Amino acid sequence: MGALIRIYTLAGNTLREVIRNRILYVLLCFAIVLIATGVVLSALSYVEQERILQDVGLGSIRLFGTVIAIFLGVGVLHKEVDRRTIYTILSKPISRSEFVLGKYLGLTATIWLQLLIMSAAFALISWLAHAPLGTGHAAALLLSGLEMSLMVAVATLFSAFTTPMLASFFTAGIWVVGHLTRDLRQLASHSDVSAVRELAVWIHRLLPDLESFNVSIQAVHGLPIEGSEVTLPIAYGIGYASLVLILAIVLFERRDFR
Amino acid sequence: MSERADTSPVTKIVVVEDLTKDLRPGFGLRRKRVLDRISFSVERGEIFGFVGPNGAGKTTTLKVLMGLIRATSGRAQILGHDVRETAYRRHVGFLPENPYFHDFLTGREFLAFYAKLSGLRRSNRAARIEALLDLVGLREAADARLRTYSKGMLQRIGLAQSLVHDPEVVFLDEPMSGLDPLGRKEIRDLILRLRTEGKTVFMNSHILSDVEMLCDRVAIIAEGRIRYEGGVDAFLPHGESGTDVVATGLAPEAAAKLHDRLGERMRVQGERVELRVPHKQVGELLAELLAMGAEVTSVMPHRASLESIFLSTVQERRRWAR
Amino acid sequence: MGEQAAVGTRWVQLVAALSFAALTVVSFSKLPMPIRGARGDLFIPRPEVARIASLGFEALVADYYWLQAVQIVGGAQNPTRYAPLIGGLIDVVTTLNPWVGHPYRFAAVWLIDSPESVRQANRLLERAIEHHPEDWRHYFYLGFNQFFYLEDNEAAAAVLERAIELRGAPLYLKRLVARLKVQADGLETGATFLRELIATTRSRKARAKYERALDEIETERRARWLDQAREDYRERFGRDIETIGDLVRGPDPVREALPPEPHGWEWILKGKKRRLVSSYYGHRYEPQFHRTERKRRKHWRAELLEREGSGR
Ligand SMILES: Nc1ncnc2c1ncn2[C@@H]1O[C@H](COP(=O)(O)OP(=O)(O)OP(=O)(O)O)[C@@H](O)[C@H]1O
Ligand SMILES: [Mg+2]
Repeated sequence: MGALIRIYTLAGNTLREVIRNRILYVLLCFAIVLIATGVVLSALSYVEQERILQDVGLGSIRLFGTVIAIFLGVGVLHKEVDRRTIYTILSKPISRSEFVLGKYLGLTATIWLQLLIMSAAFALISWLAHAPLGTGHAAALLLSGLEMSLMVAVATLFSAFTTPMLASFFTAGIWVVGHLTRDLRQLASHSDVSAVRELAVWIHRLLPDLESFNVSIQAVHGLPIEGSEVTLPIAYGIGYASLVLILAIVLFERRDFR
Repeated sequence: MSERADTSPVTKIVVVEDLTKDLRPGFGLRRKRVLDRISFSVERGEIFGFVGPNGAGKTTTLKVLMGLIRATSGRAQILGHDVRETAYRRHVGFLPENPYFHDFLTGREFLAFYAKLSGLRRSNRAARIEALLDLVGLREAADARLRTYSKGMLQRIGLAQSLVHDPEVVFLDEPMSGLDPLGRKEIRDLILRLRTEGKTVFMNSHILSDVEMLCDRVAIIAEGRIRYEGGVDAFLPHGESGTDVVATGLAPEAAAKLHDRLGERMRVQGERVELRVPHKQVGELLAELLAMGAEVTSVMPHRASLESIFLSTVQERRRWAR
Repeated sequence: MGEQAAVGTRWVQLVAALSFAALTVVSFSKLPMPIRGARGDLFIPRPEVARIASLGFEALVADYYWLQAVQIVGGAQNPTRYAPLIGGLIDVVTTLNPWVGHPYRFAAVWLIDSPESVRQANRLLERAIEHHPEDWRHYFYLGFNQFFYLEDNEAAAAVLERAIELRGAPLYLKRLVARLKVQADGLETGATFLRELIATTRSRKARAKYERALDEIETERRARWLDQAREDYRERFGRDIETIGDLVRGPDPVREALPPEPHGWEWILKGKKRRLVSSYYGHRYEPQFHRTERKRRKHWRAELLEREGSGR
């Protein structure tokens, strides 16, 4: 119970920190402007304008969400250590795992808050353009939020032992490869070398399969999205993010703050 | 050393035994022994001074005690608990050196945050925070962001933070560094007040006058080794100790009369006279000087003894360096 | 002195700002903006590579290439000249996002400069059918391409037949299939197909149209019989008939008697080409082209021949 209160307190403080940071509003405004760019871009096409509008909207949300997730995530632990604000926090009856969890949950709450704002903008623009909106869109946004939360966890992991610079680099790398692993596995399956096939399979297993969180095409085209296409990625995302966080905690617990 | 082994948690608040810490200054560089088998203990209710020159290892020791870094070997306990545990920190306060806090918070939010982390009940929280704001004199600035605080204000809110959960023992790393004389005095008064409340204070410092004025006991550390541990009075040899008083505008005959009485302990330099008297006689002397129409320009406790120990450790360090 | 210097600096700043603003605005308005791709400077990635490289933003990248294709067609005098480019772009678009609709039909409209282009359009249309099996239009475009450009009536009939029952498919599609079948497999197949349609349809109006089509087939059967007689005449006398009567006239006619025109009308030789038709219908039973379409096809064939000639 006490631990929950402490984690909640830290998360709340992290949320407050982000909310009081001006850079974030700039990013958010930029994202909303980009979502609105869909109106202009769709006008360039004489057909299927609603589709392009929503492609651009969902794409912007996912792109910006990910950028914000990485941007915030890589600083999450490092900033506290670098500015030595962690000294007084850890001198209170709070364990390092509680600290990491609190910071992570606070950031994730921020990410979902932003997603909510961007989604509202998306819904508004879709509504104004008479583009259809349905559960498919909700599923797509939900899953992209999950992908972002997973990226925050990955960024937290790197933030636990390296500089923000390197951490952003690594996290972005994981994000890119995470979107490729399925194709990689597919392509390698035609290879004659069994080691190559095996390697591709293991890369797919070990790195996050981020394509599983991508149903935006189905959403925009109103194609059916099965329940398992939503529930299983949610379970996978939560499981994977938790594992990454545990690893981050283990690494963080071994650190000397000197 | 062996007496320290039998620790009863009731009296020994801090116990450090054979604590060693090796640090690697940078990647691939040689290991450096920052703390070399240091041992000391802090008794309940005392103000303990941890004294040493820059780079001696004071902050490193404190970080080990706060669980921020891990000792290479040796033992460190607070209130009978290994420092790697967390729950006992409910009774421990900490103010790091040159503190930097979440500057997006207001003073009040800042204290509330730490109060919640320390597990303070909601019902006590508000009252406690108000009391602390009064204690450190920051009531006016309580709703300003820490970003706008001066260094002295930060130091004071930091001290309030270390006290927010009413701990039994407080660890302060150079609490008076960078403060103006008034600020130093305020912090000093606060520390003394903590002692009257029965709290134990562990304080890092290299400012000897503060230590001499405040501490019941000290440990002197240099080059990562404990050079001395004991009472402050114990190493102030009698006769040598006293207070230096400087005065001007003394009539020549009055000066002569004083000189007769004090002899060597008075030096005359033109208009200026320098006098050294035992602490107890300071009041008397000052009254006398004022009665003679003199102007007192300075009253300073004489601390040649602590300085001499300090200097001798520095000289030892130089010897090692060769 | 210091005051004056400050004012001077401000003037310098203002003048500098204005001149650079002028430079920027003027040069911007004159920036060359050729149609991308016209000079071969539009890089079209391999569709699979584009899909993998788009990192989950397939829809967005597809839209980008789609807009490129639209720009090319919108900016070009003769868009068919850019058919290979358009084909490449639409291939990328539909590989990245096969659920798009219009781009497939866009490709079908513009990829008509050569049989290769038409075949590529057909491949794209097959992808369209795979992802939109309920949309009759893609079958229609595919069948049209088969029949009109590639002149493969059998394939055309096969494709169109799959579309006739789909929602929104126009009625004439069924009759078109019947005509194509007549061309491809002979009259009996066409007639069978129509009889099947008549048996299954509920709409009286539709049934009337099918019955008329069946009647046309009967007329066509007789016309073909007459064509054959005309051919025999040409072989025996080395010249064409003057009138239909020539077929039964003379000491040694090619036929004993002529089949009557089913409606009691008569057989005539129509137009400069003197095609044998029934005066009731005025045309033969075969896929009908609108005049402009016929022109287009002629033009297309001429260009094709020329290209194949120069290729050799
Ligand atoms: N991160 C670090 N890596 C390597 N060596 C370090 C590190 N931090 C401190 N040291 C070394 O450890 C020794 C002790 O440092 P420490 O900060 O404990 O000294 P201190 O007594 O607190 O000094 P000061 O009075 O200046 O605060 C110094 O020699 C310092 O060079
Ligand atoms: Mg220090």
